[in-house]
Amino acid sequence: MTAKDDLQRPPAEVRFADDLTRLREQDTAPRPPGWALSLDAARRFVVGDAKLGVRNKFVGDPSLVDRALVTLATSRGLLLVGEPGTAKSLLSELIATAVSGVSTLTIQGGAATTEDQIRYSWNYAMLVAEGPSTRSLVPAPLLRGMSEGKVIRFEEITRCPLEVQDSLLSPLSDRVLAIPELTGPDAMVFAKDGFNVIATANTRDRGVNEMSAALKRRFNFETVFPIPDLDTELALVETESAELLRRSGVPVAQRRDVLEVLVTTFRELRGGTGRGGGERLSTVLSTAEAVSVAHAVGLRGWYLRGEAGSAEDIVECLAGTAAKDSPDDLAKLRRYLEHDAARRKHTQAWADLHGARLRLPG
Amino acid sequence: MAAPVHAAPVHVIGVRHHSPACARLVRETIAAHRPAHVLIEGPADFSGRIGELLLGHTPPVAIFSYVRDATRNRLSWAPFCDYSPEWIALTDGHAAGADVRFIDLPCWRASETGAKSENVYADAERRYAEASERLCRAFAVDNVDVLWDHLVEAHPHDGLAERLATYFDLVRGEADAGREDTAREEYMARWIAAAAARDDGPVVAVVGGFHRPALLARLATAAPDPAWPEVPDVPADTEVGSYLVPYSNRRLDAFTGYASGMPSPGYYQRLWESGQEDAATGLVADVVTRLRARRQPVSTADLISAKALGVGLAALRGHPHPARTDVLDGLVSALVSDALEQPLPWSARGPLTAGAHPVVVEMVAALTGDRTGRLHPDTPAPPLVGAVAAELAALGLDGDRDVRLDLTDGTDLYRSRVLHRLRVLGIPGVARKSGPSAGRDASAAERWQLTGSDHREAALIEAAARGGTLPDAAAATLAALADGRDDVGALAGLLYDAALCGLADLAGDLTTRVAAGVRSARELGPLGAALRVALGLWRHDRLLGTAGSPLLGAVVTTATTRALWLAEGVRGGDVPAEPARLRALAAVRDAVRDGGAALDLDRATAVGVGGRLFANQDVPPDLRGAGLGLCWALGEPVAAADAVPRSPSVLGDWLAGLFAVAREEVLADDGLTSVLDELVSALSAHDFLVALPALRQAFEFFPPAERERFATALVARRGGEGSGRALLRVRTDPVLVAGGAAIEEAIDEMLTRAGLADL
Repeated sequence: MTAKDDLQRPPAEVRFADDLTRLREQDTAPRPPGWALSLDAARRFVVGDAKLGVRNKFVGDPSLVDRALVTLATSRGLLLVGEPGTAKSLLSELIATAVSGVSTLTIQGGAATTEDQIRYSWNYAMLVAEGPSTRSLVPAPLLRGMSEGKVIRFEEITRCPLEVQDSLLSPLSDRVLAIPELTGPDAMVFAKDGFNVIATANTRDRGVNEMSAALKRRFNFETVFPIPDLDTELALVETESAELLRRSGVPVAQRRDVLEVLVTTFRELRGGTGRGGGERLSTVLSTAEAVSVAHAVGLRGWYLRGEAGSAEDIVECLAGTAAKDSPDDLAKLRRYLEHDAARRKHTQAWADLHGARLRLPG
Repeated sequence: MAAPVHAAPVHVIGVRHHSPACARLVRETIAAHRPAHVLIEGPADFSGRIGELLLGHTPPVAIFSYVRDATRNRLSWAPFCDYSPEWIALTDGHAAGADVRFIDLPCWRASETGAKSENVYADAERRYAEASERLCRAFAVDNVDVLWDHLVEAHPHDGLAERLATYFDLVRGEADAGREDTAREEYMARWIAAAAARDDGPVVAVVGGFHRPALLARLATAAPDPAWPEVPDVPADTEVGSYLVPYSNRRLDAFTGYASGMPSPGYYQRLWESGQEDAATGLVADVVTRLRARRQPVSTADLISAKALGVGLAALRGHPHPARTDVLDGLVSALVSDALEQPLPWSARGPLTAGAHPVVVEMVAALTGDRTGRLHPDTPAPPLVGAVAAELAALGLDGDRDVRLDLTDGTDLYRSRVLHRLRVLGIPGVARKSGPSAGRDASAAERWQLTGSDHREAALIEAAARGGTLPDAAAATLAALADGRDDVGALAGLLYDAALCGLADLAGDLTTRVAAGVRSARELGPLGAALRVALGLWRHDRLLGTAGSPLLGAVVTTATTRALWLAEGVRGGDVPAEPARLRALAAVRDAVRDGGAALDLDRATAVGVGGRLFANQDVPPDLRGAGLGLCWALGEPVAAADAVPRSPSVLGDWLAGLFAVAREEVLADDGLTSVLDELVSALSAHDFLVALPALRQAFEFFPPAERERFATALVARRGGEGSGRALLRVRTDPVLVAGGAAIEEAIDEMLTRAGLADL
């Protein structure tokens, strides 16, 4: 087992190192200043290139990737918005890897994020001993991205307080970061070519609207949508959950009809498109959630009964994921199982789902 | 690309309908080869009337065809715009002195499957969707339209013919053409072979690119027979017709999804007229003008950024000038600074729905353009105009007059239907003064006021574009009115209109849309009203001839299912009864009881819902009562007398629900009367006043005669004799009675205070 295999989830530049190498070797097109790949090669890194054996890594409209890359080549930042679980973070990781070769200059936004974690902080022992100097300075992702000319990622930017978000203003518009504690040329860090920001924001966190107009203007918005068709989503859930189950030591493959019931249920509860014309749940029902339920179904089936997992297991898992702690959602889910599942009882998996409806708690 | 074998050189140009690049290729080919024959994919039965197309119209115009027989009712359009390859072949071929013909099977032959309306020039690609999707994946583009821009429109010059041939070969691939395509290709190949065999000059054939590989294969082995193939005869008892109609960009763009041809006619018109660079600039200018007219801010900085992004995207995608989606993607990145509610329409290839971002809405409007075609004044008018005039004269409905109709009379019923169709089409001078309407007592008399109008003919020509015959046009209009509406009450009204027009079974589109509206209904009350209308029409409207109509049956099924679903979602404490939703459950009861097996309505499901409503204490009391009533009315054994709630604040509402749904069962159950009598007698004066309004409302559900039966039973129970009518009609002044009651209560209270109450 190599070092790479020990990690739960190595960064994209490690996972796809082979792809990057192949693309770099073949890449003759002009590169935007400071970029690790040309625009075209960066695009192929994400959307795939069958000839080079580079696999498509993002399920969604390729034009979104085009727009995102061209935006990064201009002087605006890129803001990926969308429902939770639509692979925004994956996309930002892939694009940062394609453009700069690293995806780890990442700021995780949250209620407790401070400017220190974004710009720079100090090694206080050294600061007290020597005073402010470049040696006692501890650069955070923004400073590193600017001085090294790399793309930085800002996850969940709208979960940060407004004044913290606004610390991006001058780096994005003037491309400069002042360090007032230092003197001389070190007091101003000018961004090198290649620096830019990819931020992600979640439409469920009401923060998007609260982003300041000044900062909004410095970003181009790209909305990432849930996967539009059943087959694609089903295929994705199938591969991802198979991989998770393999890592969890489950040797049997999942039943496709069970997964289809699972993905259909998620899609209908997400979009309010059930046969009864159902309603949307307030809980997030992303593809990622579907993968985790599929994983849980597989685990239950194998470790509890030694088989692949059935539609009954879906019901048991749904209560926790789909309804969470909302009694309204639980009631909607119950109605869905009573009415929509019942109408399709002629197939085995749906009949099982319907039959297990009484296992919902409450 | 000349196919050999034949005496005269044959040039088969495979095109995508409404592609400017293909139109240019056709123009160049005709100019270069000066053909003797120009053969165009289009209805062969229209060949003799090609002169009509060349009168000097302003495109877009369309050949509108209809076919009607016992099983089919199909409308189709073959639209032409300035830059349609077929239009260029027509006009340039004619100008070059060639013999111009249409060579495809007539529209009435083209489909045995009977789709109701269709764009003749829809892309065949939906049949080759798999191959197209594979290509889209290989080029990593969003959809076929973007792929086409990328491969063809972005590079309109070098080697286009070869590129097109490769593309269509790939897409057609080894796919087995359907029966319909095979027949059409066989027919078109015979025309081309005949033209070549005549050997009087080069032949240019302009056909859908998907047919080209098959046509070339057939031509290679075709026998050199110079006789033109026959145009198939129209079978007896089938009615067909073709007329030119003015068309519009909006309609060209309105076919969405796989049935669409090339989208964005406004953009491609500009591309055709002034080239790619100007089309891109024009599109941006148009979008900005529209947005500013709507007072949406668009700054110069935004425009610079949009331009830079567009050029950058073009460079990334290898286009010499920004192509359609390069411009669009640039604009949307620069101008939209919010999260979008729905995918971009040029990525997802679907129509815009409500709630689209205003910038995107204006972008789509700019892409579509607002051109409207105009026909030359000498163009023959569609038959509807004359047919309606003749029909009105024959029925004695012409000129100014007041008309009284008796709908039980067959001829009058037909007259009424004709007038209703005209009314639905909005033809001026047709006004109904009185007659039956939805949800009221059926009346069989109808009164109309007819006035002649100068605008009638113009309105009829427009109506003709919606359908070749009066019923078609009316059905299409009703369907269009229903489109996207979610107001269930209005939808039910449209359904009733369809019945009045005698279209209940023609209006398939309408029914689908009503069903869609019903499926997304949010309020139980209006849904119940719609269900009652549909059920009434389905169950016993022999007057309008809708009894047992399968389409109405489908609406009833959907509405019943939805009503059950909605009923189960109602929560919220002890709120007063809502008669509308109780009537909805009564309608559900009727639908399940009468429609049951015929409509695929499962009694057990309804009983299940009823039982859960009854048992759930979170459900308002009226629905709890109605839930029990539903079980009871559907034949489930229930112990209604034991289930009556004791609390005076919910008793009346609960009973209202029970009475609304299970009136007959209640009347037949003496036990319930006794329980109620005991309960009400035991109520204190105050509690009785609390319960009274709701109790009153509950008993409103019984007609007077049944209320009397109740009263008589009460009298008998208390040992009295005779009718209970006297109980129902109080002759004394209610103010006096109330005064008396107040005095009695005051005395009671005084006695209680004095400790004498129990003595």
